[in-house]
Order: sequence, then C-alpha cells, then structure tokens
Amino acid sequence: MTEEPALGADFVSEDILSQEHEESLPLRIRQLVNSQPFAVLCTHGNQHPYGSVVAFSMTEDLAVAVFATPVTTRKFQLLSQSDRVALLIDNRCQHLDNMMHVEAVTATGQAKRVEEEKNHEYWKRLLTTRHEYLSSFVQSPTVALFRIQIARYFHVMRFQEVRQWTPKNKPG
Amino acid sequence: MDSQKQTWIISLGDTSGFDVNVVGGKAASLAKMISIGICVPPGFCLAVSAYRQFLASSNLSAVIQMELGKKPLSKMRWEEIWDAALRIRSAFLRAPVPPEIVKAVNEALLHLNPQHPLVVRSSGLGEDSINRSFAGLHESIINVQGKKSVLRAIQTVWASLWSDAALLYRRELSLDPLQSGMAIVVQEMVSAQKSGVAFSRDPRNQSLDREIVEAVPGPCSNLVDGFLEPDRWILKHSSGEIIEWHAGKRNTAPDDIPLLSEHDLRRLHAKLGQVEELFERPPDIEWAEQDGKLSVLQARSITSGLPDPQADERRWYLTLRPKFAQLRQLAEKVSGRLIPELERLGKQLAEEDIESQDDHCLADCINARLSTLKYWREVYKKEFIPLAHGVRYLGAYYNDTLQPKDPYEFLFLLDGIDFLATHRNTALQKLAQQVQQNCSLRKKLNESATICHSMTSWNNYKKEIASIQGGPEFLAAFEQFLVTFMDIAYNGERLAGQPSSLLYLIYQLAATSNNEPATQKKNGKAKAQMLEQLLIKAVGRRREQEAKEVIAIGRLSWRLRDDDNILLGRIESQFLRALLLGADRLRAAGRLTGKPPVEKSAALVVQALQDSTLAPVHLDEHEPEPTQRHSQTADKPRQLIGQPASPGLADGSARVVNGVKDFLNFQRGEILVCESIQPTMTQLVPLASAIVERRGGMLIHGAIIARELGIPCVNGISNATNVICDGDYLSVDGHLGIVTFGIPDFELEDHVFSQKK
Repeated sequence: MTEEPALGADFVSEDILSQEHEESLPLRIRQLVNSQPFAVLCTHGNQHPYGSVVAFSMTEDLAVAVFATPVTTRKFQLLSQSDRVALLIDNRCQHLDNMMHVEAVTATGQAKRVEEEKNHEYWKRLLTTRHEYLSSFVQSPTVALFRIQIARYFHVMRFQEVRQWTPKNKPG
Repeated sequence: MDSQKQTWIISLGDTSGFDVNVVGGKAASLAKMISIGICVPPGFCLAVSAYRQFLASSNLSAVIQMELGKKPLSKMRWEEIWDAALRIRSAFLRAPVPPEIVKAVNEALLHLNPQHPLVVRSSGLGEDSINRSFAGLHESIINVQGKKSVLRAIQTVWASLWSDAALLYRRELSLDPLQSGMAIVVQEMVSAQKSGVAFSRDPRNQSLDREIVEAVPGPCSNLVDGFLEPDRWILKHSSGEIIEWHAGKRNTAPDDIPLLSEHDLRRLHAKLGQVEELFERPPDIEWAEQDGKLSVLQARSITSGLPDPQADERRWYLTLRPKFAQLRQLAEKVSGRLIPELERLGKQLAEEDIESQDDHCLADCINARLSTLKYWREVYKKEFIPLAHGVRYLGAYYNDTLQPKDPYEFLFLLDGIDFLATHRNTALQKLAQQVQQNCSLRKKLNESATICHSMTSWNNYKKEIASIQGGPEFLAAFEQFLVTFMDIAYNGERLAGQPSSLLYLIYQLAATSNNEPATQKKNGKAKAQMLEQLLIKAVGRRREQEAKEVIAIGRLSWRLRDDDNILLGRIESQFLRALLLGADRLRAAGRLTGKPPVEKSAALVVQALQDSTLAPVHLDEHEPEPTQRHSQTADKPRQLIGQPASPGLADGSARVVNGVKDFLNFQRGEILVCESIQPTMTQLVPLASAIVERRGGMLIHGAIIARELGIPCVNGISNATNVICDGDYLSVDGHLGIVTFGIPDFELEDHVFSQKK
C-alpha cells in the first residue's frame, strides 16, 4: 500500500511552508488565538456532548482562557455537571478555497466558574478588553464567568500535521 | 498628523475638492453658494472622516451593532428603536473625542469670531439630495459658545445620525444606517432682525407658477421650532409679483403690518432665482437678515419624486421629534381640556338610564356611543400619543445635560406620580386585605374561579358571600370598587361584567398582600427630588425655569399616557354596556343567537333593534389568531431574544393573556405572556412571577410596572403570543432579555438513540 501525500499539499507555496517551520509552536498558537475572537466550546454531561460558539480571551502565557455564559444555557448546565472541556479555535473561514492553509488548535482543560471575590474583576477585564461589546453582558448577575485552565494544545495544520504543546500552568 | 487635519477640517470658503462624500450634502451646498458670491455665514466643515475616526477610536460601532443587530430593524417597533437610539446617543455623548480631532476643531475655531455664538449643524451623506431630504431629522444646535460646548454639540449632532426618526426614515428608504456617515458644519450665527424660509416653488404643487416666502422676527429658530407663526407670502415665480400675504402671529411687534417690504421680497425672489440657477433645480432656502445684509443659512433642492406631499413619510417621522413649544401647547390642550372632557363624558354615559329606553332609542344610543368611541380614539391618536413624547423629551434633555451612566436614570424623576391605575390597584389591595383577615371569606372566594358567568349564578353566589360574617361589608366595598374603577374595557370586553374573575383575583392577591410598594414609593420620591435638584443645578440659573418646565411636562405626559387609556376604556365600556343590553333584549325575544356581540357586529344588533321584522341574527365566534403549537413540530424555539425591560430572573409556567377570561385562569406565580400590559389590566401583574410582551420598549406600561414591583420583564418578542403556549415552562432573564423554554435536557437524544439500539 502506497502512502499518499496529503491532499492539496502540492498547492501550498514553498514560501509559506518554509515560513511555517521557522516559527515556534507557541508562537503559531498565539498568532492563531489572537487572530480569532471566537471559539467552539465543547462540553459534555451524562454521556451527551455539546458544542457552543463563545467569545473568548486568553492570558498572555496561553495557560488560561476566559469566557462568559448566561446561567440559563445548556452549556452552563453541562459545565456544572462536568468541568472537563475542549476549546476549538481555527481559521477555516479565511481559507475556504484551500484547506491546506487551515490551521486549528484544540485546547483541552478544566473550566471553573470565577467566583465574585476571586479576581473576578481581572478575568472580566481580560474578556471585555478584547470584547468590549460584552461589557454590559458580563455585568449581568445572570451571567457566569468561566476560566479554563488549559492542559494541552493540539495544533493542526496542512490537513494532518498535528503537534502538541503544553503551557506552563501556574497553580490556582 | 497634518495631512489628517487637512482632511478633517475644511473651511466653507475653500471650494476646491468639496466632495459630497467628504463633507456631506449641506456643506457641499453652502460651498457651492459661496463660490458664486452668495453671502453665507463664515464657518468650517468637520469632514465625515472625523466621524469615522471617532467611531473607530471609541468602539462605538460595536455599541451600534449590539443595539441594532439583535433584531432586524424592520421588525423593531418605534418604541424599541427609540430605546436603541437613546442608548446609542448616550454612548456617543460619553465617548471621548480623539485628541487629534479636538485639537483640529479648536484650531479651526480660532478662525471664527469669538464674539459670535455658533451653530453646529449636521451635514449627512445623502442629506439634502434631490430625492431625499433629511431636513429636520438630524440635529442642529444653535447658540453654542465655548470650545467644550462646540465639542459636546458635535457629539450630539453625530449621535443624531442614529436618532429614532433618522433610523425609521432610513428604514423606509431601505438605506443601511451602518453605511451612513456624517460631516458637521460649524458656522457663526447671524444675529438676525428677521429671518425665515423661502421656496422657489410651492412644495405642494411644484408645477404652479408660485414661490413661497415665510418670515419671523428674530432668528429662524423662532419659525423652525414653532415659537412664532410666520408671515407668509405667495409670489409669482416668473415675476416675483405678490399674490397673497397672510399675517403671522408675533409676540411683540404688531402683526397687521407685513414684516417684509416689497424690496425685501424682491431681494429674496432674486436670491431664490440665483440659487435655482446654481442647483439647476427649485430650491428651498433658510435665510436671515442682519443690518440689511441678507445671508443664506442653508439651501437644498425641494425634494422631487414626491408629487403627493402626503407620501413624504418624513413628515410623520418628524412628529417623533416634537419641539418643546409644541409639547407645551399640547400639554395645555390635553390636560386643560381633553382629559377633563373625557372624564366627564365617561361619568355622564355611566349615569344615563339606558335600561328604560325603548328598542329604537337604544339602537340610536348604541350608534351614538360607537361614534363617540371612534371620535375619542382619533383624539387619542392625534393628541394623546404625541404628548407621550414629553417624557422622551425629558429623557433626552436630562441625558444631554448630565450624561448619566444609566441612560434611563431620568425615569426616577417620574417616581411618585399618582396614576388612576395606582388608585385602582390600591383599592384592590385593600379588598385583598379584607379577605386576608377573614378566613371564611377567603374560603368562599376560592370558589369564585368556578362560578358560572350567568346572572343567576352570580346572584346566588353573592347571597352566599353576604351570609358570611363580614360578607355584606365586603360585598358593598367590592360593588363600589366595580363602579369606581372597573367600568372599563379590555380587548373588547367589560371588566365590570366579569365580577367573579375579579373576586378570584382578589382571592389570589390576598395570599400575596404586602406593604413593600409604599416604602419603595417613599424612597422613589426622595430620589426624584434629588435628581431634579441635580438637573436644575447643572443647567444653571439662566435655564432653571426651562428645566422645571421640561420636568413638569415630562411628568404630565407620563401620567396622562396611563390615565388616558383608562378613561378611553370607560367610554368603550359604556358603549359595550349599551350593545350588550341590546343583544340581551334580542336574545330574550329569540331574535339573536350565537356569541355575544363585539364592536364589529354592532351594526347587526342596531338593525335588529330598529326593525323587529328582520330575520333573527346569528353571531359567529371571532376566530382568534392561531398559536403555533411547537410541541409536535421539528422546528421549536429554545431561546427568544427581546429587550431586557426589568431586571431579575424567574421561571415558571406560562399563561398567555388575550382576554378577560384569561384573567380568571391566571394563577399566582405564573409568567404573564401578552401583547402588551395595558393600564386596564395592571391589577394582574402583582400575581405574576415575570412578564413577557410582544410590544417592546423601556417606557411602555409593562416595563414600568414590572420595574416598580421588582418583577423580571422581557419585551419586544414579536412572536411571543404565537410561539408560547399556556403551560410552557419558561425562564425569563430580565437582565439579558432572554426567554428560555424548559430546563436544558437531553431527553430527545436519549429517546432517539435508545430507539436505535
């Protein structure tokens, strides 16, 4: 059986490929995360998976992501059942014509609701600095702020090239 | 930086490269006139690029998107658009103007005479074009003095691009408001002895050989804002010959002598000709004369493509921004004449002995009462609704002066106002307290839910109540309550005709009665006084009287908008009383079958009363609008988005209220879902755990009463009464404006996958 090349690999220009290899994985992840304001949050509970689009923001060291959700939502209910989540961030909408240019990261982690007294203001500001239009949304008492401690990133590019990166997690 | 400054500030005299997309319609017209030597007051234009820079630097685009993106503009009712516009305006006034723009404006101001007050006008894209006139829809601010005030005025004019009237007009013309932009014209004000407007054709019929000139003493704002009625001339367009003169109404000068001389009129005729030649279309101009020097303040083409002036929707949208002078006149008329007349009429009709009238007289009475009702509905539309703008005027005035963080802070100024509905609800609470203290009465009233609406059942039930200790006193108070407060109609039904449903309401209120609202009222009054003082202090001594008057008219309009509904409800109730009496007679004579009559079937009842030889009448049931039952369909709503009208989070079972019969079904703790809470049904609200309304807005009755009682309210869900059914379990988030169906579950998935195993 012959190993087939990845579909479309021939159409990627040499320049792009050489440039990609020069950059470190954390830098690539940072660039991707910074370029995408929205992510797909994957939750589950009682054997049921669920996905939702969320506006997110990330700490500089990429160790923690923050997002907000109303307490009446399905994702809120699932998060209270299981704190294990994944966050998918990708740039597919920018490369509809060439899949080889699509880049994605799946970050796995643990979501915790930010309690009022514990640096709530800091995490709220982290989110609203990037998403200013959410300022009044996050003020609502019916909105819960969550932070995800990222355990690992799976980075995918050129269809099947997958690498992993683990951010340095600080305790707490 | 220099090149940017060049782009932002353009002197009105600098005619080179005056692109309408850079400076907007008004500035482009002024520059054109200056280029041929027409006298225009000196000034400068702040280009559209400055507006865009302001938007980008303060993230206002995101605010606009959040306000206008939640719902298609076409589905937003006017009240909702007004609310969105208020919040956008508030954000515009609070956002800092980029320092580079401030610097450029301040430098440009150095070229103008510091002794002259300024006028800051809009110069929007597409404004004053041939086919679209935005005249009056965007803001112009006069008598502006000082750098800070100029900047504040610029922000206000920018914000007016997003006013309710401007948004509605753009919607009408299918223009995307997000693609719009606005330049600003800052000019020295002319200290005019006379001023006015002039049309080079009669705008009502441009084919006639006619020109129209209007003039008032003093500045043109006296005319535009409706303070003075202008002198009016009709001239021959071809020769300038005077055809007619109508004297205006002036405050000081005698009005039997024309304000303009023939020489003045000849000059204006010549000026119109000059501008017409320049624009190559008939224009209208705003002019001012100071020490014999005639200046043109602005000019635009008389809007073409509108052969029928009635088709110009802008006229209606302009009524959304009434001038204060108009509001003052309207307030006097409504409170001084119309409301007392309506109140008197309601009492008079209630006292009329129609029961002893013969059939012919009763038929005439039904017709007369229907005509009266229709007449007052017109008055409601033409006089009462426009007065409601008084409170909105107060809101804009308060926000412009104080720029509060909460754009609805001004509502505290309205606390403590006595509405007719408040008196009714207080009386209802008193009855509930009577029931609360009487165990036997409470037990008896619990049965009221099952009482049949027939007169015999009701009379028997009354006898049973009367036999209880304290029962006769309660009954007497209840019947007095019916006469005083419940002789009103709701959705075509008389509330006084449904005593058992009211008794059941009292029974339910007895279980919730408390005195909290009284404490809230006291605190509210104190806050209202504090904010009033704050506003008066902020406007300064010179405008103190004006501020007091704005507050007074705001409060009056707030109160009357509630009371007028109840008073109109009384007239409708009295019409229904006559109609139902007629129907009962016909039914007793075997000449009427089917459902009780409604307004639409009044003519049939009248005919039958007038002519006893007519065949029996059968009244079909009115078919209600079908509800979309989603439980059996694949497409089910999960979350509905509306306006967060009163904060709080509550869940419970839905009760859709469409008519008086639904009052009886309403259970304490249910979520009240309806078209809109009307003053004639607010007695139901204390029982509800939350309110969901189709009609949207922060200033509508449901929102107001919900906030008063601390109940969450989401409104502006246009399909609420169609997609929500009685018994649906809802979560109402009044903070975010979200209504969620059911508790999140995966029962469907469990069901589907267990079947496949």
